[in-house]
Amino acid sequence: MTPVNQPNEANQPNQPNQRNEPDASDGPRRPTGRAALLAALWPPRASRGQLVAAVLLFVLGLGLAIQVRAAGSEDTALRGARPEDLVRILSDLEDRSARLEDEQSTLEDQRAELENSSDQAEEARRQSEERERQLGVLAGTVAAEGPGITLRVDDPTGAVTADMLLDAVQELRAAGAEALQINGVRIVASTSFVDHNGGVHVDDERVRAPFVIDAIGRPQDLEPALNIPGGVVQSMENKQAAVAVTRPETVTVDALRSAEQPDYAQLSS
Amino acid sequence: MIAVLGLVLGVVIGVVTRPVVPTGMEPYLPIAVVAALDAVFGGLRATLDGVFDDKVFVVSFLSNVVVAALIVFLGDKLGVGAQLSTGVVVVLGIRIFSNAAAIRRHVFGA
Repeated sequence: MTPVNQPNEANQPNQPNQRNEPDASDGPRRPTGRAALLAALWPPRASRGQLVAAVLLFVLGLGLAIQVRAAGSEDTALRGARPEDLVRILSDLEDRSARLEDEQSTLEDQRAELENSSDQAEEARRQSEERERQLGVLAGTVAAEGPGITLRVDDPTGAVTADMLLDAVQELRAAGAEALQINGVRIVASTSFVDHNGGVHVDDERVRAPFVIDAIGRPQDLEPALNIPGGVVQSMENKQAAVAVTRPETVTVDALRSAEQPDYAQLSS
Repeated sequence: MIAVLGLVLGVVIGVVTRPVVPTGMEPYLPIAVVAALDAVFGGLRATLDGVFDDKVFVVSFLSNVVVAALIVFLGDKLGVGAQLSTGVVVVLGIRIFSNAAAIRRHVFGA
């Protein structure tokens, strides 16, 4: 082997020399690098050196390809890691998951709190709306309807006075009437009944016969309250007024009063 | 030429067959590759200098790979594997650069 290859081997450095001799003046002993490279590349020689280099470079190429592929893929990135690196990565991950769990429980608490408070706010709003409706009926700022009675007083002689109407209203209230109106004027706590110029003024508004009082309440209570002996109906009939009490299916009280804002009194809660 | 063909063949086979490296060998493969690269650049420089010797090339290639892997292995055992492999890569990188500079001077004359 060796004796056969020896001349070949020996030729290697010399060959470029011979090729260069005609044109290169670089020096007889040293070929230029480019020429040496070309000489090493072009005439393929199956020398022992070339074969050995080929085998080693083959191994290098193999390793290079494997390593590039291993480094490029995410999955195998941890496989080649050192134990201490793996421990560090693991503890980092544990820290991180602990932090995230903390955050999660904080956020869950917050969410529960918010849901709770919004439920409470909703309930409070519902209650205050309900209360506003009830108070509106009492204060006369909203219309109301329901069971009740209608009292009609025909007064051809003009004998009915404010006192008698007030008696009727108070009788009805005492019997549990919740909303009242007389000829389209809502009757509330502050309503006034005044005799003026031979007529009746309710809240400074002239009310003429026939007087119609609509009252919402329990009819079984309201009607007897008016009809008791010596009561409202009887005393009006004594003055030649025609009184009729009816129980419609539903009584509608739709006369309204505007809510008055107090100028000086403020909420003290 | 045949050497270059060997390199190309190695890359192609590595890409196509996708061989699996034993788990114990994996930390040493990158260092071994860098050490082999250093040996190859050294061999190329020697070729251009006209002093290429296949025996020297084989010995330097194998010893480079083995010593590099050994250093990393030792570093792992001592608990300074990461730092030591960084050091090996730096040293080999410097050598590759200086060899590349010599090759450049040969090929481009500058």
